[in-house]
Amino acid sequence: MRSLKPVIASNGFAILLTVVFLLPITAIFLFVFTTPIDTMLAKFGLWLHAVNEWSFSEFDTEERFSKIGFAIRSVIIAVGISFLYFWITNWLNMNLAMYREKTSIGRQSNIVESIQPWIFVGPTLVLLLLFLLVPALSTLSLSFQESDGTLSSRNYAFLWDSSALGYLQFRLAMRNSLMWLILVPSVCIILGLLIAVLADSVRWGVIAKTFIFVPLAISFVGAAVIWRNIFAGGGIEALETINGSTPSYQIGLLKSLLGHTAEYNEPLYSLKFWGNFFLMWILVWVQTGFAMVIFSAALRGVPEDTIEAATIDGANPFQMFFRVKLPQIYSTVLVVWTTLVILVLKVFDIPYALSANDDDKLLLATMMENARNNWSIGGDNVDNLYAAIAVMLMLTVVPNMVFNGWRIRREQKELGN
Amino acid sequence: MITKSLSHFVLGLIVFIWIVPFIALVSTSLRSETEAKTAGFWTAFTPTELGHRFSTHDKSEKIEIFTMNGNIFERLNKDKESFIISGEIKSILIKQRIADPEKPGKTKLIRKLVPAGEVMNVRGGDFVFSKNGDFSWSFSEKTLPKPKKLDVFIDQNPIFGTDAYIEVLFDNKNVPNALISSFIVTIPATIIPITIAAFAAYAFAWMQFPGRDWLFVIVVSLMVVPTQLAFLPILQGFSGIASWATALNQWVTDCELTDSCQVASKSFASLWITHTAFGLPLAIYLLRNYIVGLPKELLQSARIDGASHLQIFTRLIIPLSVPALASFSIFQFLWVWNDLIVALYIGPNNASDLVFPIRLQKQLGTFKDQLHLLNASAVISMIVPVLVFLSMQRYFIRGLLAGSVKGG
Repeated sequence: MRSLKPVIASNGFAILLTVVFLLPITAIFLFVFTTPIDTMLAKFGLWLHAVNEWSFSEFDTEERFSKIGFAIRSVIIAVGISFLYFWITNWLNMNLAMYREKTSIGRQSNIVESIQPWIFVGPTLVLLLLFLLVPALSTLSLSFQESDGTLSSRNYAFLWDSSALGYLQFRLAMRNSLMWLILVPSVCIILGLLIAVLADSVRWGVIAKTFIFVPLAISFVGAAVIWRNIFAGGGIEALETINGSTPSYQIGLLKSLLGHTAEYNEPLYSLKFWGNFFLMWILVWVQTGFAMVIFSAALRGVPEDTIEAATIDGANPFQMFFRVKLPQIYSTVLVVWTTLVILVLKVFDIPYALSANDDDKLLLATMMENARNNWSIGGDNVDNLYAAIAVMLMLTVVPNMVFNGWRIRREQKELGN
Repeated sequence: MITKSLSHFVLGLIVFIWIVPFIALVSTSLRSETEAKTAGFWTAFTPTELGHRFSTHDKSEKIEIFTMNGNIFERLNKDKESFIISGEIKSILIKQRIADPEKPGKTKLIRKLVPAGEVMNVRGGDFVFSKNGDFSWSFSEKTLPKPKKLDVFIDQNPIFGTDAYIEVLFDNKNVPNALISSFIVTIPATIIPITIAAFAAYAFAWMQFPGRDWLFVIVVSLMVVPTQLAFLPILQGFSGIASWATALNQWVTDCELTDSCQVASKSFASLWITHTAFGLPLAIYLLRNYIVGLPKELLQSARIDGASHLQIFTRLIIPLSVPALASFSIFQFLWVWNDLIVALYIGPNNASDLVFPIRLQKQLGTFKDQLHLLNASAVISMIVPVLVFLSMQRYFIRGLLAGSVKGG
């Protein structure tokens, strides 16, 4: 009996080669081939424009319709290519095996069977390798290099050297990140628990939960726009000479409640130091729904008999919650906490949208962006500096990663693997 | 009983705090530009005193008169189709020079609020107005008055209109472009990772191959790697590919070094691939845990009947794992639609191809005096994800409960 290994290897290689060459060429060919669709749609748009007598310019119509054309064909091609991959590889796998082993069906299926898993996991492994693993490692190595590639620790100098670029910013970013890390997850968890408990005890709980839940669907920038109406300043000022006769309106609700008139225009989130808390609140508003949903499910999973036993023993609602229910969902609280911590570390959009260049509001993630955009005058190694800050960000996530890895391992064991 | 009403109260309060920002968003987007930037959204629901400027008559009306009669509201609403001003007139602000009591022979400028019914001197004539807007301007002899602009304060009745939406959707081309771009990015970046992850999840769950368990653990633990760590090298990789493609394009199409020849490194395609890669760990984790739980007997009997893995996958696994596929697709859809940072680094950066979060972030600056437009644009950016979210809430919660580890 000949060994199957060379056959498997050569078949696998043939499939790989076909895919690597065929798919990109097909994609490019299809893309170029379907370009006239854009022009056709643009013409159709112009026709619609003429028929409906639209008010905006013809050029806009043309541009928009050809963009829609581009959208449709690129979406179809992109999705089609990813389906094509699985179809072609499977077809090749079958037929190559049949071609190589014309007689034995058993050997054919052996070849197919040993190549098949790699076809299925191949794209995943390649993508993760190229877009997560290798880049992460190369960022790590980049952080220890000068811009010309020589080894250096200069990028990390902001850690100890007070004259280094980013020294002050790093301290502010760490201070803020720490505050965010402590406050946002704890407030989310406390509010989430509170809402979960309360919503279970009233009849309109489901509706209440939906309202708390909806912000999860909204982008952070959208949330920033929403809360701008509450925190930002502006409005009309009272005329000086006839003070009091005309209203002095403030357009931020909270600012108005705090008694700020329109002359005091600074948004609450721009306040020195205290502004950070208003930015944090926006994230709390978005993420509490997440904590609430998880806790709500966990509380429902608390065994009935423990609750009944506590009721018979005459526990009041507070004892019931703190002594009976909370200890039983403790691990869930921990899971939510780690998830929120990772989220907070990566949070970027909210401070970027509302206070992009304010050192006082820096977080590690926004500091990275600042390093790349604003510090280019200060040093030639901005990319390397960026990498160094990214590594610091990574380091803060490590304890959580370890915990998560341990949790997933345990979970997989429980699932019977 | 006390605890019962207390819980109603506390929950009510929290829900109220959660809803108020939405009310602020929607009501601001439905107001006129002046109202949105002069008075807070909560004043939109009650009569609110706001200032307007009107002109007594048009310049073209050149008739000598003793008395001119008109209506302030008619004048104010002359060219308006929406946000018709109505309500009760409080006062008119009059600026005029009077004899200075302190310095004889000199005049001083005073500003005075004149209530309805009181006579004031405007260009030498007596000007009187009533609360419903009727005014009369009478002179002692026949004159040809020049038009006068007056500031009037009106208790504006609540009024809403959809002008801001029409403006951002039809007059401004950024918002429609952002909407189209967001769809271009989101649809493939949702479908491709599901396809790829479903195959991989099936392989991890039901196929035998060397190193399977270790690979799975590595894949899943990549879930918590901050994506920021990967941006720079990915970007460098794409610019490398782009310069190759540009060279290839030049060689094939024989075009000179022009803009049309340049292949962009930051494109929709690079966003699709990057989002796909970033979404895969969670997708595989969710799907694999679901597929492992499917009944083993079903799959074994299918194998015995001679079905290939591809047949089992497409005929059995896909239909059975619709709930898991749905919950991941919502995650990925929301994540991609709402993403700012990946698009900022890797997405196209020409003005017409920006995705919605970047556009909105820019509008925070450009529309800072046109809050009605800013809020309308934000509402438009939220409609799609909120609708998807509410209609598929069940699957989203299931996904959250199954894989509450990926942090944004």
